[in-house]
Amino acid sequence: MKRNVAIIGGGQTYHAARRHDVDQGEMVNEAVRAALKDARMTMDDIDAVFLGNMEFFEGTHLTDCWLAGSAGAYGKPGMKITTGGTVGATIIGAGMHHVAAGLFDKVLCIGFEKQEEGDTGAILSGVAHPLYGRSMAGAAVGYFAMMGTSYMAAWGAKEEHAAMVAVKARQNARKNQYAHLKLDITIEDALNSRMLAYPVRMLDMCPASNGACVVILGDEKTARDRCKKPVWIRAMDTAHNEQFEIDWRNVTLTKPIFSTACAARMYKRLGVDDPKKYFDVFEIYEPATWAEMVWYEDLGLCSRGEGFKLMEEGATAIDGPIPVNPSGGVLSTNCIGASAMLRVWEAALQIRGDAGGHQVPKEVNRALATAYGGTNWTVMTALSSSTED
Amino acid sequence: MSDRVAIVGVAQTRFSPKRADANVAELAYEVIEKVLNDTGLSIEKDIDNTISCSHDIWDGQTISNIGITDVAGGHLRTEEKMAMDGSTAAYYGAVGILSGEYECTLLLAHTKMSQTNRHIVNNDAFEPIYSRQLGLDFTSAGALQARRFMHAHGLSREDFARVVMKNLGNAMANPLACRFGYYGLDDVLSAPMEADPLTAMDAAPDVDGAVAMIVASESKAKKITDTPVWIQGLGSCYDDYFLGDRDLAECMALEKAAAQAYKMAGISNPVKDLDLIELSDEFSYQELLWLEGLGVCKPGEGARLTESGFTSREGELPVNPSGGVLSGVPANVMGLNRVAEAALQLMGKAGERQVKDAKRAVAQGHTGFCGQHQCVIVLGNQ
Amino acid sequence: MNQKNTVTEQICVPMTVDVPYRFAAGKYMARFLTELRDNGRFVGVKCPSCNRVQMPPRVVCAACHVKNDEWVELSSEGTMVGFTIMYLPLTDPTTGKPHEPPFVYGSVRLDGSDSTVEHMVNVEPDLDKIWVGMRMKVVLRDREERIGDLSDIIHFEPLPGQKRPQ
Repeated sequence: MKRNVAIIGGGQTYHAARRHDVDQGEMVNEAVRAALKDARMTMDDIDAVFLGNMEFFEGTHLTDCWLAGSAGAYGKPGMKITTGGTVGATIIGAGMHHVAAGLFDKVLCIGFEKQEEGDTGAILSGVAHPLYGRSMAGAAVGYFAMMGTSYMAAWGAKEEHAAMVAVKARQNARKNQYAHLKLDITIEDALNSRMLAYPVRMLDMCPASNGACVVILGDEKTARDRCKKPVWIRAMDTAHNEQFEIDWRNVTLTKPIFSTACAARMYKRLGVDDPKKYFDVFEIYEPATWAEMVWYEDLGLCSRGEGFKLMEEGATAIDGPIPVNPSGGVLSTNCIGASAMLRVWEAALQIRGDAGGHQVPKEVNRALATAYGGTNWTVMTALSSSTED
Repeated sequence: MSDRVAIVGVAQTRFSPKRADANVAELAYEVIEKVLNDTGLSIEKDIDNTISCSHDIWDGQTISNIGITDVAGGHLRTEEKMAMDGSTAAYYGAVGILSGEYECTLLLAHTKMSQTNRHIVNNDAFEPIYSRQLGLDFTSAGALQARRFMHAHGLSREDFARVVMKNLGNAMANPLACRFGYYGLDDVLSAPMEADPLTAMDAAPDVDGAVAMIVASESKAKKITDTPVWIQGLGSCYDDYFLGDRDLAECMALEKAAAQAYKMAGISNPVKDLDLIELSDEFSYQELLWLEGLGVCKPGEGARLTESGFTSREGELPVNPSGGVLSGVPANVMGLNRVAEAALQLMGKAGERQVKDAKRAVAQGHTGFCGQHQCVIVLGNQ
Repeated sequence: MNQKNTVTEQICVPMTVDVPYRFAAGKYMARFLTELRDNGRFVGVKCPSCNRVQMPPRVVCAACHVKNDEWVELSSEGTMVGFTIMYLPLTDPTTGKPHEPPFVYGSVRLDGSDSTVEHMVNVEPDLDKIWVGMRMKVVLRDREERIGDLSDIIHFEPLPGQKRPQ
């Protein structure tokens, strides 16, 4: 990239299942104001606004036009991109490209979802091809259920391992003031929660949250002049999987898929040999417990088939050697259009040392955030406290 | 700009009322295959990323770029969807290359208007609490804007009809156009009224189609083509949302977007510096209003330019020599079609619709009703 | 304005957003659906570059970026690669009606195909009676009842005489 780009501020709403007190614009505006406050800026400082959410999830076409006022975009350049669950990271990428290109110095990136205003399950069934698979669509739950059966059959993992992920996420969320599901649960609680689609139980799935996240990006001069702790975006990459082959579920596949291909490119670009040593913390997009363990493997934190052992050893706990999702992750908060941005923002907070109750105890200089969406797509973002690595 | 970005290839489908023979992916692949063949590029070796443009609600699929992932080279690779007018795909494609992140980008815009109902889709762009229940769509909102515009400057339906006559006449030379012909004032004025003052001929028809384009960095572009078209200026801007918050006879967002693009391209006098304009005349009156926003004339004076032939294909500043959106270009595709048509002119590949000695052009696209978001791109072949 | 009279009631406006569509199947899917309807058989396309057989058929092999043009007939039997027992009454958007839970929802790789197909499985929702690796066959509606969409498949069912591997 031609210019270094840093995260120079950010903010989020609190996340909840019900936000009848605000409309979509008011909710977005909460996060915009929080981010401006964090960056010690006003809207007048911002050159352009980029917005993303799950298109039409809330039943309104062209949400960016509707929210132009509350987003602060009125009279300013900007655009809306939608790439599904990855969109929060895609929007950061859009802001990054504009700053790197020298078009703008300070941009505001918004991700949000007000899930309660639509029927997410029905809408996600619409992901399937209209003439092939839509009538059978099992929504996200059915998909991750298949991943779970495939994972247990292949590697000998047990439902208990998924329960461990469920507990880790909700216990971490209790330390995060903004998280949605702050549950003081045990493995037994997870195993006894209602079965949705074998082997996926209620506590194995992410909630449907309302919320917004905003990240402000700046060029190097702005970042150094105006920001005490800029967090540098060192690399971003996007990879999709093809439409009809839902490869992530077949956990024994050895051919490259979206996640492994994207990680390989990121690591090559950054010169990463051992990601669990290179990065100090991970914020990954895990809509279901099983996905977290598969992510461990796809990101190369352990060998294929050993993700559940990493979980069992507690390696990815908030105070473990490879902390994953100290924020509580998507399992605790899923306002879809904001979720991928929250991963990046939470990773940035860890590097700044500003994560508060869920700050990991070790020193954090580098972090990796992943996004997930569509028919198996990802956007990965590598962050650092330094422009030198 | 230190490094430059060029359009190196363009492919478009013919625009037709209904393509029952092809689904969205197949429609998209027609233009992707063609632009790759024309430029001799391969997705695997040459294309770094893809930017597509459409909307879930038009496509009838959640996260609808899933439907074109395979044909657009998205598998294990980078693809992003602009949920806006197609002009923004060209804008963002150029930004990606200027950032140094990419060298060569495939752009795609596609929509099959025939598979759903324009009125319902457009009505859903009105927010649900305050304005949707009125049943407004882009045509009725456009009609409010047209009336306000007429009132502000003493314009008549005849002034708008002359835009239709010019553009559909221009479309006679465009083999891709869906609607074309030499019409008289009475033909337009007596066409079925959709929302007064706009008749069916004042509004773009529903069509299916797709446009693909490849943009590349300067070094890459020079290896690909002898006729690169340089993206010299970029601008975009959001206007206010509620109709009641705007004076609809004005177009602040377009003025701001044009100012950004002109500044970047070093244009001080658009009439002198530009050789042609391709703008999104989704409705006839918009051509006149957008000409003001683009700084071509003073408020209310666009009609005179049309009547005098100033904006005809042979005039001093041709506007929509392709026939424009009125000749039939799908929603979402229209802005990328504007960029494509301007680029073809500057490549000297516009066939019978070619404007003589075109060196510099501007393309304009808008998203939403009454031009809520505006995008302006300045192109040049020097 | 009297601040005491400020409205604090939370108002939610219910609305069903209904958008009608008519989707063109396209050349590849149309042939797939007519073969299914008229001849009760599955067809896929073979990539001229990597040779993988894809179902449903589609215009491009996404991995190789080449046009698919060789058609192959697939078996009506295959292997279960993943399954779930659904306890949620998910809505079928093509009918607006829920699928009644619990039911088994399986992912089957038809013999000769490199893709899997997802559908209902006619087996008791009992983990002893269904497993990954189980051999399956497809059950279609009778010829006169088939209409050329995926509902022409009633479900998959296990081939008889199989024992769960220990």
